[in-house]
Amino acid sequence: MEETNKQVPVTVLTGFLGAGKTTLLNRILTEQHGKKYAVIVNEFGEQGIDNDLVVDADEEVFEMNNGCICCTVRGDLIRILSGLMKRADKLDAIIVETTGLADPAPVAQTFFVDQDVADRTKLDAIVTVADAVHLSTQLTDHHEAEEQIAFADVVLLNKIDLVDESGLEVVKERIKKINPFAKVINTTKCGVSLNEILNLDAFSLKRVLDVEPDFLTSDHDHEHDDDVTSLSFVSDTPLDMEKFQDWFSKLLQTKGQDILRTKGILDFTGESDRYVFQGVHMLMDASPMGKWPQGKERSSRLVFIGRNLESMNLKEGFENCKSA
Amino acid sequence: MKADTSQFPELDKTKFEQRGTEFKLGIPITNAVTVGNSIAVGFGDGTVRIFTSGESSEPIKAHKGIVLCMSKDGDNILTGGDDGRFLNISLDGKISEIGNFGTRWVDHVTANNGSLVCSSGNIVYLWSPNHKQPKLFEHNSTIGGIAFDTKGRRLAVSRYGGVTLWKKDYSNKWNSSELNWKGSHNKVIFSPDGKYLVTSMQENQLHFWRLKDKIDSAMSGYGAKIKSFAFVDDSKYLATSGAKEAVCWPFDGDGPVGREPICLPYVGNKLVTFVEPFPNENAILTGLSDGSVFLSEIEKASNTIIIRSFTEFEVSAIAVTKDCSHLLIGDMGGNILWTSIWDEEKK
Repeated sequence: MEETNKQVPVTVLTGFLGAGKTTLLNRILTEQHGKKYAVIVNEFGEQGIDNDLVVDADEEVFEMNNGCICCTVRGDLIRILSGLMKRADKLDAIIVETTGLADPAPVAQTFFVDQDVADRTKLDAIVTVADAVHLSTQLTDHHEAEEQIAFADVVLLNKIDLVDESGLEVVKERIKKINPFAKVINTTKCGVSLNEILNLDAFSLKRVLDVEPDFLTSDHDHEHDDDVTSLSFVSDTPLDMEKFQDWFSKLLQTKGQDILRTKGILDFTGESDRYVFQGVHMLMDASPMGKWPQGKERSSRLVFIGRNLESMNLKEGFENCKSA
Repeated sequence: MKADTSQFPELDKTKFEQRGTEFKLGIPITNAVTVGNSIAVGFGDGTVRIFTSGESSEPIKAHKGIVLCMSKDGDNILTGGDDGRFLNISLDGKISEIGNFGTRWVDHVTANNGSLVCSSGNIVYLWSPNHKQPKLFEHNSTIGGIAFDTKGRRLAVSRYGGVTLWKKDYSNKWNSSELNWKGSHNKVIFSPDGKYLVTSMQENQLHFWRLKDKIDSAMSGYGAKIKSFAFVDDSKYLATSGAKEAVCWPFDGDGPVGREPICLPYVGNKLVTFVEPFPNENAILTGLSDGSVFLSEIEKASNTIIIRSFTEFEVSAIAVTKDCSHLLIGDMGGNILWTSIWDEEKK
């Protein structure tokens, strides 16, 4: 009976039309794994999905009635996930396919905001399928493509057989510049082992500790103001908790719309525990995560992914949080 | 079927548990609806069971996956499922399909005087008596709930941004008007006297409209989403779940604006997940997140008795037969208590 209370992992598949989402989906479903998956698809799906548990959804983005424009959720997901949790048989996982032009933020925020969804399911990871040939153009032309890369825990760089080596490097560099956290997997026809995309637990705070961001050393030339980029800060000087909370909460309140994702491990003066957080826009999951490991230097690390980051005086703000 | 019926009284059981029959089915109970002196129960495996005093209940295979919603039309049961089917089930278990929407779920069903209504996605489908083809009412978002008023002349459809109120004029033409309030509205009900319309929202609050002058207001202060609410004693109180007390708002006189609700506390400090009015009384049956169920008089909280002790699973259904002889309690762990309400010997 305890089984009923276990959270079912939800994997979100994003990516532009034609990148290979449906190919990946069918690959997941046809692999001999003996698992029961529910698949939530949108009505503009490209081709047939081969599964006995397919749910049709309209991507309905709801604003919560609390005046915060950042706080949008996917109403259809709340309805469908709540329904699926009433099933007699246990699902091993739920896969949500989004349309090519979907913003992943409302999907992720749904798991923070709705208590029933948060109690019974958990966001496992956002997997973005990208077309190695067309990604660069899509990133230039569409905000949504940038957001899908920015929110990704895994980027499946598909159709690599159709680009040469230097072309591949350019695309990868572009991805890393937007999102240093994402694990990039090269594939043709979405050939990837399932344990690289399912059951990653990428949104748990524990995983924040495990993932080392992969920053590029290149500087920030050729950027438009509204390009999605990432910035990171490291400090060996402990931070003042009160100052940090003041700065960070004000920052999210005023700039939360431009800040897409944040992650950090923080070393506060007088605290023996490490503090870990990760956030989507203004929504934040944070907790002390046990003592600092013996023999390892204590330090604070903070990463922002978003637009217009240069204008937020992040470096100055972060420096001011250091204990005097 | 592995219905493990245990009729052996134990010391820690309530007198209702001792007297009644407990079923440990292990299948989440999604709905229960009173049909005369029987109670129909919907399950998370697509089956329906009908409980009638003195008769056994066998599972009726209605839907492929989940019975998402239930209502009744006279002596028939209406169900909607995740297999996209809208079904009519008779008390002797005969199933007929009213509509089929494929991979689109049937989220809500209701009926009034032979008019059968369901919603799937953003469309409400209404089958008038003796009509084979439904009338379609389209809305701007997926529908959160549907409800007829007592007379069946008004149909309320909740949605993102408020409620669309459909009214049938005397030439049987349906006209709509909008009641708008920001946010996503779920379940909707009319007060039995037809004066008020109440919705629960995605936020932890309710919203109501007084229909004669369209005055509206929020009822807030809840710790959780309000999944269950109902009018009690005609339209005197609105009993609601979503807090650690059963919160009962006064709807007599000029309504709840500026008035305090009556809050009925329960031992154990657990969240109220289900409220069901006790027919013809100013009293409610309250189900909690730990499976326990109490019967309380709204204006005299000291008159509270325990009906069922805890099961560890949230109460998801309570229903009382029309003759008030039996009640049924169901929870998300698949436990059912079916019991007579009155002590047979005292009768």
